[in-house]
Amino acid sequence: MAAMNANSLAVPPVTLGLAIDTTFDDTSVAILRGPRAVLANFTLSQVADHAEFGGVVPERASRRHLEAIQPLLRAATAQAGVRFRELDYVAVSHMPGLLGSILVGLTVAKSLAYLLRKPLIGINHIEAHPYANVLEHGELPFPVLHLVAAGGHTLLIHQTDHFAWTIAGRSVDDAAGECVDKVAKMFGHAMPGGPAVDRLAMEHAPGPYEFPRPLLADPGLDFSFSGLKTAMLYFLRDHKAEAEAHPGPVLAAFFQAVCDVLVAKTLRGARRLGVRAVTVSGGLAASRKLRERFQAACAEAGLTLFYPPPALCTDNAAMVACLAAHRFAAGRFDTLELDGQANLSA
Amino acid sequence: MTNALAIDTTSEFLSLALLKDDRPVASHYAQCGVKATQWVFREIDTLLGGAGLAPEALDALLVAVGPGSFTGTRIGMAVAQTFAQVLERPVIGIDTLSLLAAQTEPPAPASRDARFHALLHCARDEVYYAPFAWHEGLPERLDEIALTTFDRLAAIVGEAPVTLRRFDPGSAMGEAVVSRLRQLPLRYPFPDGLLLLELGLAAFRARPGGPFPPPRPIYLKSEAFRKWRP
Repeated sequence: MAAMNANSLAVPPVTLGLAIDTTFDDTSVAILRGPRAVLANFTLSQVADHAEFGGVVPERASRRHLEAIQPLLRAATAQAGVRFRELDYVAVSHMPGLLGSILVGLTVAKSLAYLLRKPLIGINHIEAHPYANVLEHGELPFPVLHLVAAGGHTLLIHQTDHFAWTIAGRSVDDAAGECVDKVAKMFGHAMPGGPAVDRLAMEHAPGPYEFPRPLLADPGLDFSFSGLKTAMLYFLRDHKAEAEAHPGPVLAAFFQAVCDVLVAKTLRGARRLGVRAVTVSGGLAASRKLRERFQAACAEAGLTLFYPPPALCTDNAAMVACLAAHRFAAGRFDTLELDGQANLSA
Repeated sequence: MTNALAIDTTSEFLSLALLKDDRPVASHYAQCGVKATQWVFREIDTLLGGAGLAPEALDALLVAVGPGSFTGTRIGMAVAQTFAQVLERPVIGIDTLSLLAAQTEPPAPASRDARFHALLHCARDEVYYAPFAWHEGLPERLDEIALTTFDRLAAIVGEAPVTLRRFDPGSAMGEAVVSRLRQLPLRYPFPDGLLLLELGLAAFRARPGGPFPPPRPIYLKSEAFRKWRP
């Protein structure tokens, strides 16, 4: 088993950074002092804007980002008591996500960096999610295995140092969060349906319903949740009355299957990669049921578990700023020709 | 003496112009496709540096607010609005049909009240249009910009002359209708940043000391559209 390394990258405690995240349907601006002191972290959710469509409409998301970003910049600098000129760097998530949305945040961040003559730091939004744990717990020990369950991604990321990571496992079709949202929608819950499913999973014991654990028997670390979603579709077709009479136990059983896969694959990855520390992040990490399951499983396996507070699980610019603070300390900057990118790449 | 930067990214062209001490001193007009956000800062820096101006010396930002490419429009507006916020300067929005109208040759004084239409063919058979008349040397938009289709255009325009721009100059869409329209002669070849400077500066001077209404992007089409229909 690999030894855990102390984190050697020291972020000066007085640096001031501003970060922007507009990768999906939340507009977020944060200001961070040093690596962890969140002076402001404002996120404007667009959930209500997209409710009538039952999903995020990319063009509407881009329009809302442009409307929201300048007021959020004003609010963040006011709350932090920081003037733009005092910033040491400007960071922005430039991938992955909705390209039109990314370009709004990216262009604003570049404008700031150009005007202030400060470094621009382009951040991979997925790489930033585990840094929500750094904000909460301090520097993480390396090596570490991250489960990132965020939006359209479910990933196991093996990180050996800052900026040094590989994808150990990924969703080959639907991500876990997508699957949960779509199943919640089948039961009439508004998007995003994760919180409703989690609440029911906490309130109800799983009923005597069996749902598949996709790829659990497969020795690999990849995930697949499309089949689980389809299984629920067939269950509703064949047992409509049962589902209507007992939606809580049915959804609790479904969510148990989701948790079983996420927990088992993560622990399998930790064993295989020889890591002793595990983090969970992303929107699905806000689930209390999933957290319970991870706490119990990691305690039993002797793994150290890092979990962010619920407010830092969903998309937020504070985690982007936290990763950017480390990039700033390492002197790893981008040029003003940085482009946005819809897809994930290392 | 006014310094101002004009930014137009509403089409596949990145168009910038710089006013220094009340005079246009530099401009940039180049096809950029989808690379506006990659190139715009390099070109702004070249313009400002060439003129010996720091961004802080700008008195106003002038930006094209569409209609046009939705993403392109947002890029220009994001730049202008952020410059305006950081520098604490006004930002003035100019619509793209007013730019098209400003390309046309001013008519003889006797026919200055005559209406004409500015038309912008954006995609498929969809055309943005607005009526204009000349007022104190500048084209004045007489109504809100609207969207129609080529087959309805003749009834809207009537006998009034027009100026038409196509996003895709090679497109022959609506040619049967367009060939019957009376097109105005142009005094200026492109609806570029220099024209934006001209219109924006007039708006800036029309309100000494401001305040200026915050510019809003002009989309006209629903964000959830598939194909727009009147």
